[in-house]
Amino acid sequence: MDFDWMKIPYAFLTVFIIVNYGLLLNALIAKIAARAGRRRGIPLWQNYIDLIKNYGLRSSITHGVMFYLGPVFRLAGGVGLLLFVPSIYGSEMFSNLSFAGDLILALYFIFFGTLGMALGAAESGHPHAAIGITRGLSQVSMAELPLGLAVFSVALQYHTLSVTDIVAAQQGGMLHWTLFTNPLAVAAAMLSFLGSMMRPPFDVVLAPQEIPIGPPTEYHSSYLALMQTNRAIFPIAKIIIYMNLFFGGALSWPALFLKVFLIYMVSVLVGVVFPRFRVEQSILWFLVWAVPLGVLSIVLV
Amino acid sequence: MVSAVYLIVAALAVAFLLGMLKEKWLGAAWGLTLATLAFMSWVSADWLWAFAVNGAAPVDILTAATPPPYAINLRMGLPEAALTLLINVSGLFSALYLKDALFARGRQSMAVLLVAVMALCGIVLTRDIFNLFVFFELAVITTSGLILLSDGEHALAAGFKYLIVSQFMSAMLLLGIVFAYHATGTLNIDGMAAAGLGLKEGGMIAFFLMFIAVVAELKPFPANGWALDIYEAAHPAFAALFSAASGAATLFAADKLLAIGGPDWYPVATGVGLLTFVASNLLALPQTRDRRLLGYSSVAQIGLILAVLGQRDILGAQTYYIAGGILVAHALAKAGLYWLSGLVAERELEAWAALRARPLLVFAFISFVGLLTGLPPFPGFYAKWELMGHLAGAGRYTFMALILFGALVEAGYLFRWFGYLIKREAPEERITTPAHKLIPVLAAVVAGWVLGFLWGRLSGHGNLLLVLPLLFALSFLLLDWLPAWVKNTLAIAGMSAFLYLTYTEYDPLRLIFAVIFLLGGAVTLLASYDAHGRRVGFYPAVMLMYAGMIMLVRATGSFDFFAAWELLTVGSYFLILRGKHSEPHALSYILFSLGGAFMILAGFAVAAQGAPQFELASLKGLAAPLAPLVFLLLALGFMTKTATIGLHIWLPGAHAEAETDVSPMVSGILLKAGLYGLMVLLLSMGKQKLLGIELTHAMLWAGALTALLGNLMAIFQEDAKRLLAYSSIGQMGYALFGLALMNHLGWLMALMFVINHYVYKSMLFLSVGGVAKRTGTREMYRMGGLITLMPLSFIATLIGIIAVSGVPPLSGFGGRWIFYNAILTNDYRLPTVLIFLSGPIAFLYLFRLIHTIFLGQLKDEHRRLKEAPFWIVLPQMIYVAILMVVAVVPGLVLRHVNAYLTQFFPEGALVWEGNQISSSFGYWNPVAIMIVVGVIFVLLLGWLMFINRRAQKVKQFNMVFAAERPFRPETTHFAWNFFAPYRKAMGFLVQPFATRFWGAVTDVLHTSADLVRRLYDGNGQTYAFHFLAFVVVVYVLGTGVL
Repeated sequence: MDFDWMKIPYAFLTVFIIVNYGLLLNALIAKIAARAGRRRGIPLWQNYIDLIKNYGLRSSITHGVMFYLGPVFRLAGGVGLLLFVPSIYGSEMFSNLSFAGDLILALYFIFFGTLGMALGAAESGHPHAAIGITRGLSQVSMAELPLGLAVFSVALQYHTLSVTDIVAAQQGGMLHWTLFTNPLAVAAAMLSFLGSMMRPPFDVVLAPQEIPIGPPTEYHSSYLALMQTNRAIFPIAKIIIYMNLFFGGALSWPALFLKVFLIYMVSVLVGVVFPRFRVEQSILWFLVWAVPLGVLSIVLV
Repeated sequence: MVSAVYLIVAALAVAFLLGMLKEKWLGAAWGLTLATLAFMSWVSADWLWAFAVNGAAPVDILTAATPPPYAINLRMGLPEAALTLLINVSGLFSALYLKDALFARGRQSMAVLLVAVMALCGIVLTRDIFNLFVFFELAVITTSGLILLSDGEHALAAGFKYLIVSQFMSAMLLLGIVFAYHATGTLNIDGMAAAGLGLKEGGMIAFFLMFIAVVAELKPFPANGWALDIYEAAHPAFAALFSAASGAATLFAADKLLAIGGPDWYPVATGVGLLTFVASNLLALPQTRDRRLLGYSSVAQIGLILAVLGQRDILGAQTYYIAGGILVAHALAKAGLYWLSGLVAERELEAWAALRARPLLVFAFISFVGLLTGLPPFPGFYAKWELMGHLAGAGRYTFMALILFGALVEAGYLFRWFGYLIKREAPEERITTPAHKLIPVLAAVVAGWVLGFLWGRLSGHGNLLLVLPLLFALSFLLLDWLPAWVKNTLAIAGMSAFLYLTYTEYDPLRLIFAVIFLLGGAVTLLASYDAHGRRVGFYPAVMLMYAGMIMLVRATGSFDFFAAWELLTVGSYFLILRGKHSEPHALSYILFSLGGAFMILAGFAVAAQGAPQFELASLKGLAAPLAPLVFLLLALGFMTKTATIGLHIWLPGAHAEAETDVSPMVSGILLKAGLYGLMVLLLSMGKQKLLGIELTHAMLWAGALTALLGNLMAIFQEDAKRLLAYSSIGQMGYALFGLALMNHLGWLMALMFVINHYVYKSMLFLSVGGVAKRTGTREMYRMGGLITLMPLSFIATLIGIIAVSGVPPLSGFGGRWIFYNAILTNDYRLPTVLIFLSGPIAFLYLFRLIHTIFLGQLKDEHRRLKEAPFWIVLPQMIYVAILMVVAVVPGLVLRHVNAYLTQFFPEGALVWEGNQISSSFGYWNPVAIMIVVGVIFVLLLGWLMFINRRAQKVKQFNMVFAAERPFRPETTHFAWNFFAPYRKAMGFLVQPFATRFWGAVTDVLHTSADLVRRLYDGNGQTYAFHFLAFVVVVYVLGTGVL
């Protein structure tokens, strides 16, 4: 196979950058949210400390093979998602492993980690894990729909499923962004975005007050560390897809950092204002508010 | 050759002779009766042979050695020979069967029987109208006598009512004859026809009186209450004779009269016949007593034949082939069933479960049901095909619809009855089968199959009983005494060998289906090695299904296609019926399937426009306005098999209640037959418009709705196999959607679905079936935590759900990728939204399946469970291997199909560059994906194992539980009503509208039948009124007074 082996170290570099950015950004977001609630919040380096501590803890407990593999699935899903999508437009170095497949691959690969983690958590036998999963699956099945419709609309608009080509089509000024050329699709996708960021009003999946932390209940020490690493990578990877599809992509790392931060902030702004929905409420909310926008965007594109 | 007059002479002579024998020489008298009937049968058979094989000309027998009209003449031709043979043989076997009754009542009763048979022969043979009257009188008197042979008051009352009604008829017949003679000056039937009776003054009234009298003898609805009482009350052997022989003779008499009346009276015969057929079948529906039900069915069948005789203006020379096919099927089946009813002690339909102890009698029963419902390879099947062809050719669509409706209702009560026989609790008393009662039944079965062969030979379509796959399947009937594993090996070997011998004959599209049907079927059969004993009845059924499927793929003409379709339907019905609780579900399966099959039959008939058959390829040449109609009928027929929403209610029960190794067959393999039909249809007919609606567009909506609702219903199931069954509905919706897209990628996706769905659904059904076998339940919440006890089943399920959900890197993703590319090229965007919605829902039920069974808390009663049996696990592992191979090199199959589809859909084919597959929208590299995912996964796993190398498995309840320690798995396993919030939000979409609708349809049918049934109150006066009303109405409508 004709393969450029340099892609491998470059891919590691991407992962390294994103992990660090993700850890910092998550802390910053937590801090912003805390300040909005008149609390002080965590220091910016807190996530590093947590991560190192958890990797350092030695556990001698497992609930079985799937339990053991769950976090591996989860993190592999996050890393894969990140690497299947080019991070920086026009950069061969940071086009990552996007030669393996297009947008469909990326979107479907999201489920790889979700499913693996769900299986692992389920093997723990903890009912809270299972409850969290049913909530998560129920919610995501409807929350992902507007995104799917928006992606469909965008693919129709640009007549391609290749992420690179979609970004290329948005070059030449802000007004060429999908945000302006196909606002309905972006609106639908951004509503869907709220549902997938684990923030209020759609965070009943983890629901710290009722079912202490949902799916990851039984995970601890290095298992939890792997999942925390994923929490640093996964949202960023997902936001990068949004950025590429709707907000013109990024030509450089600073642009990427800024855009990702701003997109992330949408869910934060909503989250600090609204209380939590129950699952059936959020399902109906997406069905009533977000799905019609997506349908319109498809019909009108 | 012996003159036909000896049919009458011999019977009369022996009847007189019997009177002279001593009272106690019962054995001799009985022997003499049998010998006479055998002689008469031989005479008829001899004539039949002469006409059919040697091509002899019809012979007239003149009584006073002068030609008619001065003397009476009898005629012996092909129809007469066949009918008298039928009458005499029925008489012979009934006499055999009646042994006890005849012995009890003495030699006089034997004389009466002989005279009855003679009279019926006379009705057939005579060409003189007054002579006909005489024979009818003789038949009436002997019939009354024979009714009185039966025990009980009911028989007496029935016989009396019959006498009264028949006197009415005789009077009318005689009056008619007087008038007709007055008008034409002859009593000869041919003479009257030549003289144009209807044109003479008063001729019409004369004819009407004669005709109505004979028609009334055919027990038309509603003037037939007396006949039903006879059927119910008389001795079953006499009822057999009454149904088979009297019916045949009277029909022939009606046919002779129609020759006098001419085409003006055809519509009357048709109308009366059709009304009787439909109404009587409806009335049979709520019957719970066997003989009365058979009575209704007899009346209905005779009505159908009368209606066919009324269609002779379009049927022409084929009339006797069609009417004869239905008649012999009816006669054999009814005689056989009445004879069987004599073996069953109770009169309730459920009591027939007693027959189950004797597989031979079960076979006889189902052969009779097959004969009655016109299933291949019986004569009724060929007759049905020809009849529909002619009717469609003449544009008589209402007639077609009514016949098919009536036939469906008939199939409904007959198969329901078969279900009782197989599934209801058998009475403790074993049935006894003395030889003189068994021989007639078996003779009827043999005759049914022989006549099936004969009708096949005469059909001009090629004889189904000579088709290799069907012969192979039927040979398992003879091998049923062998142990199951021997038969299984034979079946696997036969299917594989047939594929090996014929694989070069298929184009790539057909090859895919042939491989799935034969090789796929063989792999699924591996699981059947798990069964022990002889497994009586399993192999004929399963092989019948596979024979039908491969015949379907090999069919090029509409007839072969339809025959194959019916065969696979019936075979799969028997298979499904084997499940422990599958009785109602098998019934609903066969009814929907037959309904679908009738649509296909009608579609082909309309397409052929009167031609006996046509090539499937010529569907392409059809033009509007026929083409859309044909398309709609065929599509609906096929969509019934793929369980499109609205037509789906049979599927969940049928698939879930089937046996462990049967579920994968009927789900993974059988459903593909419907898809195959749709592919053939769409490839040849393309897009069609009906009333301004593009039908493929409607199919898109149907597919999308099916996918959405199938998936939604799957997530709320507690029963694992039902969950998989609903999932199949959803998956078939995807495939239908793909086909309806009518573009290259849509079809490619549908074909990928065909292959993938076969593999993963067979695997999942086996896996779940294996688990159910071990745990003894299919309710998922009763399971849990089985992963360590049944690891291989878990792996199969895991791989299965990953493949179904389409998560990379396994093979399902390829299907999804093609699918999304396909819909991007679609012009209709709204149905696509539904398809989008249904995608993620699949995750819900798939997760539920694996979680509630294998993960979570292990139940105490399951702690000692073992892995599923080897033979059930083996095919699963083969499927796992196939899925892995297809995941890495999807091009193995995909490339060929892609190339093949290019000739139909040149635009939008996939392009291969090395391992990368591209469409006009995107690209995908399965090998790269597999490597990337594999490397990342292994790296991370290695790391975790490095830092967490001392992890040990802890006990089940060792977990963080709010400082409590749970101890009951039942309360800790979160499984019941798993997606409660989802039901709260979306439950409104899964209201059982379709189930309610079809429930209401059957309710209406039953209720209306029950209302009409009250017409028959058992009162002779009421019956007389019915008769009078019938005569007046037919007169008014038939002669056009109004």
